[in-house]
Amino acid sequence: MSDRPLHPRSALAGIAVPGRYGAPGSEPGVTIAERVGLGLATVAARKEHGEALKQAVANVYGIDLPEGSRIVQGPRVSFVGYGPGQWLAVSEALDGEALACDLLQNLKGLASISDQSGGRTVLRIGGPRARDVLAKGLPIDLDPRAFPLGSAATSTISLMGLQLWQTDDTRSYDIALFRSVSASFWRWLTASAGEYGYEVVGAGGA
Amino acid sequence: MSSQPNRLAEGGAIDRSKTVRFSFDGQALTGHEGDTLASALLANGIKLVGRSFKYHRPRGILTAGSEEPSALVELRSGARREPNTRATTIELYEGLEASSQNRWPSLKFDVMAVSQLFAPFIGAGFYYKTFMWPAAFWEKLYEPMIRRAAGLGRGAGVADPDHYEKAHAFCDVLVVGGGAAGLAAALASARTGARVILCEEDFRLGGRLLAELDEIDGRPARDWVEAAEAELESLPDCRILRRTTVQGVYDGGTYAAIERVNDHVPLPPAHEPRQRFWKIVAKRAVLAAGAIERPIVFGDNDRPGIMLAGAVRVYVNRYGVAPGKRAVLFADNDDAFRTAVDLAEAGVAVAALIDARKLPSAAAQAAAERAGARYLSGAVIKRVRGRQGVKGVEVRDASGKTESFDCDLVAVSGGWAPSLHLTTHLNGKPQWSEALSALAPGTLPPGMSVAGAAKGAFGLGSCLAQGHDAGAGAAAACGFTGGSGKASAAADNDRGTVSPVWQVENSRGKAFVDFQNDVSVSDVKLAAREGFRIPEHLKRYTTLGMATDQGKTGNLNGAAVLAQATGRYLGAVGTTTFRPPFTPVAISAFAGHHRGQDFRPARLAPSHGWAKEQGAVFVETGPWLRALYYPLTGEEPQDSVNREVANVRTKVGVCDVSTLGKIDVQGSDAGTFLDRVYANTFSVLAVGKARYGLMLREDGIVLDDGTTARLAEDHYFMTTTTANAVKVMQHLEFCQQVLWPEFDVQMVSVTEQWAQYAVAGPRARDVLQAIVDPAHDLSNAAFPYLACGNVSVGGGIPARVYRLSFSGELAYEIGVPARFGDALVRAIMEAGAAYGIAPYGTEALGVLRIEKGHPAGAELNGQTTAHDLGFGKMLSTKKDFIGRYMAARPALTDPARPSLVGLRPLDREDRLRAGAHLLPKDAEASAANDQGHVTSIAFSPSLGHWLGLGLLAHGPERHGEILRAYDPVRGGDVPVEVRPPCFIDPEGERLRV
Repeated sequence: MSDRPLHPRSALAGIAVPGRYGAPGSEPGVTIAERVGLGLATVAARKEHGEALKQAVANVYGIDLPEGSRIVQGPRVSFVGYGPGQWLAVSEALDGEALACDLLQNLKGLASISDQSGGRTVLRIGGPRARDVLAKGLPIDLDPRAFPLGSAATSTISLMGLQLWQTDDTRSYDIALFRSVSASFWRWLTASAGEYGYEVVGAGGA
Repeated sequence: MSSQPNRLAEGGAIDRSKTVRFSFDGQALTGHEGDTLASALLANGIKLVGRSFKYHRPRGILTAGSEEPSALVELRSGARREPNTRATTIELYEGLEASSQNRWPSLKFDVMAVSQLFAPFIGAGFYYKTFMWPAAFWEKLYEPMIRRAAGLGRGAGVADPDHYEKAHAFCDVLVVGGGAAGLAAALASARTGARVILCEEDFRLGGRLLAELDEIDGRPARDWVEAAEAELESLPDCRILRRTTVQGVYDGGTYAAIERVNDHVPLPPAHEPRQRFWKIVAKRAVLAAGAIERPIVFGDNDRPGIMLAGAVRVYVNRYGVAPGKRAVLFADNDDAFRTAVDLAEAGVAVAALIDARKLPSAAAQAAAERAGARYLSGAVIKRVRGRQGVKGVEVRDASGKTESFDCDLVAVSGGWAPSLHLTTHLNGKPQWSEALSALAPGTLPPGMSVAGAAKGAFGLGSCLAQGHDAGAGAAAACGFTGGSGKASAAADNDRGTVSPVWQVENSRGKAFVDFQNDVSVSDVKLAAREGFRIPEHLKRYTTLGMATDQGKTGNLNGAAVLAQATGRYLGAVGTTTFRPPFTPVAISAFAGHHRGQDFRPARLAPSHGWAKEQGAVFVETGPWLRALYYPLTGEEPQDSVNREVANVRTKVGVCDVSTLGKIDVQGSDAGTFLDRVYANTFSVLAVGKARYGLMLREDGIVLDDGTTARLAEDHYFMTTTTANAVKVMQHLEFCQQVLWPEFDVQMVSVTEQWAQYAVAGPRARDVLQAIVDPAHDLSNAAFPYLACGNVSVGGGIPARVYRLSFSGELAYEIGVPARFGDALVRAIMEAGAAYGIAPYGTEALGVLRIEKGHPAGAELNGQTTAHDLGFGKMLSTKKDFIGRYMAARPALTDPARPSLVGLRPLDREDRLRAGAHLLPKDAEASAANDQGHVTSIAFSPSLGHWLGLGLLAHGPERHGEILRAYDPVRGGDVPVEVRPPCFIDPEGERLRV
């Protein structure tokens, strides 16, 4: 019995079904994709070890930890600043719990690491009307003048807390939600995106 | 189908090639694209539109804008019925249905109109004075009676089927109003490259320019509007929001606006909202909201066919409608008399220009000549003929002679007053302007400037110049100093001498000040006689200005009548306060997406879908949905709970505890930190062990409880109750950031990360041993009670096991990363099948804990201390912790405080009720004898009877005593026996097997 494999399940399984929805038209105004299997972990600097942590992150992950609400992309791991001395580490290469394990090994004594890979649903919302959709819930100015590439924010949409960042595509935003509100968020998102037409891309998990 | 008899042959901004069908009170009618309901009704010769609020007087159309007090209709039908909708703002659409309100059986014959006969008796304060006694009659008799007689439209009575949404926008410059000044401001600011949002209430830009035959830069003003609109649309950072009313001004440059996205179509297209509630954050704002024309007060001034002069020009020039066949003008300013010329040019006969000013005006005289009308200066209307529509007026001239004119239209004007409402939303006070004979903007909200008519500049040239300057200035203030382009130019019209006439004395009939609330001159005078000398008091006594139009056309006249009645200077009387929203807003727009199941987001546990498959009935626990019980097919709730409890006591059960708050507390000072926040000690807890913890508030009252496990020297894993998770996290962050910033401790919520299940019952170990990977030994020796540790499941998936028990049985909690939660609970069920496993919900969890005497939410109620709950011994005396000193206050350690006891009915057949009061056995049921109450109850399947927990004065000393559990609410009165709280396995042997 104990060697029976356990399969992961997205909080949007059966909810985010790939396809074209909302108002018809040639190009969907919005594309929505769940980034499944990401490694996610919170990293909080130990007291008096901030500088050593920066150094270690630079050595191991090849990037400078961002100050403030920014995302810095590394070759394997990206770091999103969300508070003084606090980051959310995001990785495709080190998926699931592997990221927290890796961070724990490399940053031991310098930072407190907590695996969050199961606790978040990460959506990538793109397309020409992505910003219009987000404006229906997000009280943040996403104009490139106010929110340039590499920006990050901790905010809420429709009473749901989230983290948001933009990496290299000016039309596309990553949103990390608490897993438990995924279904509620999906109802808000699809109700808001409907008028522009939207496409759900990729499998929303098993 | 009628053929729009009052439609002019040409002119106006309507499309005569497009006919739009609609109905009013069931009558099939037509209008044209570009019409409002009001203009279409007028085109069809319909002037009687509704009945008034209090006296059921026939009412028509007074204005052409959102300030309309009279022409209120019910729009649409069924679930989409909207009461009190202003016909002047409804854009005509194909199939529009409207009906008049507050009349029965029909608009023309309204039974309740007899209330007019009693009008002399139902003046201001009538209800207060008449229905004072007996007080008990108010709710049952008077109020329903008054509500039936008074009132306006009917709500739909069912849920609005349409979707509404909210949206945020950010800009450098917000321009409120798209008339001459607003367009000039938007152009001047947008040309600099600033981000500009222009909000226009109407469906068309232009404001008064659509209603006047003016010229700008030497060409027709309407062409200028089109060019301005095209230029604004070509600028990438300028957004034009049409059909959008800015409703309120808030701190930090925040503005609320309602966009009526799909109010102008029969049904919103699929996926589109009906309305959108904008929250606009602007660095600067230019208010260019224009002005509102003031009526003059005279007897029967509310008769259908009496209309503001400016509105008459709107209907003639913008909509190509003749609002009457023969007009009389009555005004105190030259601007209004321009109407005569426009009417005459449109082919409407103008009988007379009644100029209320004593000195004749050359401009007015010239207008009369051009219109072929009589001109009477120093004259007033003393009587109106016609009830359901004007048939004529009697005029008293300067010499006191009376003259009669036949007419079906009276165009009235007491001059214009700035629409300054938004300037007052942040406590700005308007200022009386003698030059304008009106209130002008005074102190402004931060970042706002005012331009054009809203500032009292009524000439077109001034509007354009002020708009341009305000727009350029606002952009410059945001750092955009680039070219604003050239300001457009136009001539200023001469308003002539301003000598305002507020009301006509000694005219016949009721003279209305506030049309919508039926407040007349006599009401205001009565109020003044009774001592209501301040507009705010007058408002509340007479309801002047309290209707849905907030007195936009009535407040100033009301203040003038009050000034006259109290012998004061009008400028010194003051004004009432304008508050958001500027115009009525549908509740649905405020709700937006947050309706029904989306009223608040629901949090779902990782195995929610699995629980649903099991037929679970869910309950809201804070924001979470938790399984309450898992009934088998046809099983009653109580039977399900009994079965689930018995299954745990005799076999094994599984319960989803993922919703408990979970906090990782890490750092070299984590142990010391926990010693400070918990009443008991954690720094000495061994790695691999868990412990129950009690947290106090600063005032010594219990905050929360839970278990905390030590996973590593510098890593604790804390759990909180589901309901208090957020509160505890805030508390910890406050402690860390404010009280002891010197500690090396980091906290992060991992509630969402871990799917966690309690496996409880005599066979719990058998089940769990089959779940964890083979390397892990869960035997009593290797993994005793309160042990914890990292394990793996499913071939290497990291998991944590805690040997904790809330049920009193052998039990474990197992956690896995949330995305494996669904798979884990299925695996547990599969592994447990051989042992008779069944899921149990929060209801069974509650029964199990009551049987064990564990306090929970009903006992941790924000009023109880550790002593009250029997946890006094947990309060460490060896260390400091939050709440320590306050908990030691005599009042908080008084043994007379209600403290935790167990309760069982003396007659085991009796049912206990939570909330019942505990009284001495033979005492009278009075508050003086109240000694505590029953906090939690349950039917115990293990014992076969009801039992309960309660808080009882001197509780622990009274075990064995018999009391009354008295429940006056539900009629219960049951003798109960006081017991120790724990009913099952008091030695805790089952925990340690």
